[in-house]
Amino acid sequence: MKKQVKIFVAVLFFVLGIALLCYGLLVHVTDITAMENNVETVLTKNEPEMIKLASIGGVKRDESGWINQTFAVGEKPPETCAT
Amino acid sequence: MWIQTSFLVVWLDPLGIRYHSMCSPVFHCYACPLSTFACPIGVLAQFGALHVFPFVAIGLLVTMGALFGTLICGWACPFGFFQDLVAKIPTPKFDLPKFTSYFRYVILFGTVLAIPYFFGEDHPLFVCRICPAGALESAIPTMIGQASAGEPVVWPNALKLIILILFLIAIFFVKRPWCRILCPLGAIFSLFNKFSTFSLKFNRLHCTECKRCHKLCEFGIEPEKSPNDSRCVRCLECTKCGPNALKLGTIFSDDKSDLKNYKDK
Repeated sequence: MKKQVKIFVAVLFFVLGIALLCYGLLVHVTDITAMENNVETVLTKNEPEMIKLASIGGVKRDESGWINQTFAVGEKPPETCAT
Repeated sequence: MWIQTSFLVVWLDPLGIRYHSMCSPVFHCYACPLSTFACPIGVLAQFGALHVFPFVAIGLLVTMGALFGTLICGWACPFGFFQDLVAKIPTPKFDLPKFTSYFRYVILFGTVLAIPYFFGEDHPLFVCRICPAGALESAIPTMIGQASAGEPVVWPNALKLIILILFLIAIFFVKRPWCRILCPLGAIFSLFNKFSTFSLKFNRLHCTECKRCHKLCEFGIEPEKSPNDSRCVRCLECTKCGPNALKLGTIFSDDKSDLKNYKDK
């Protein structure tokens, strides 16, 4: 691979990575459902919150495609992941 | 070794600070009681199971891959460091055939991407359910904590335990077996090795063909033929060859200046 091509590919991937990272941190949100006072409510979570919830097994996808929070709003979340 | 130890302090939460809403670029279970950041492989798999695109994890891995490639594996990864420390125990070491390195891509596409996406996190081959880093850094400390607190001990599944035991045996006889055969994160970073900003430079004019680099490389690579091989973890041992034919450089460094310096000598 020629030097100029290597530089072009490396810069391209670097810029792409930064763009994805910024989009994920600042823009991307996901709607999830959670129980609040025995009523199902929709919560909007940004990606850092989703990473934290996923890391403790706090969210799960059901058969209909909705992502459900595994604990009710106000309840203590699980301490570690299910695996 | 000191660089690896310094990075360990970053990954192991010395001040009790937890950023589990952000991934690190290394293989380190976030269920570990001491982990500072989330594991990027765990996040890829968990988000796959949720059918949500993991922008942060992929963005971080692409950025780090474009900058460093597998230099992260060789110098920053705590799981690689653990294997390096065990490898210092003088036991006979065996080499692995080249094709075994392709299992990493099978693990990446199978247990990290396809199985979580199509079968969810309950599938027995979901990466976190078989991960030896998870068993070693999370399951075992949790079990010890449960036993010492007098609580019933929750054992990890049998497959995870078998893989952990095999891994613990293998690290005594093979240099970095996890990184070479199974690591899905290493598989991702290896894809960037050919064009990452930091890379190994081979200067043909300095090479005396003494083949010392072959002996220095513990991964069975011939560095002068393929200095940025996908199997390389960039431990930089090969750069210790006498004539200085191999060295760490960047894609911006000018090879012609090397040539000029050599001719001036």
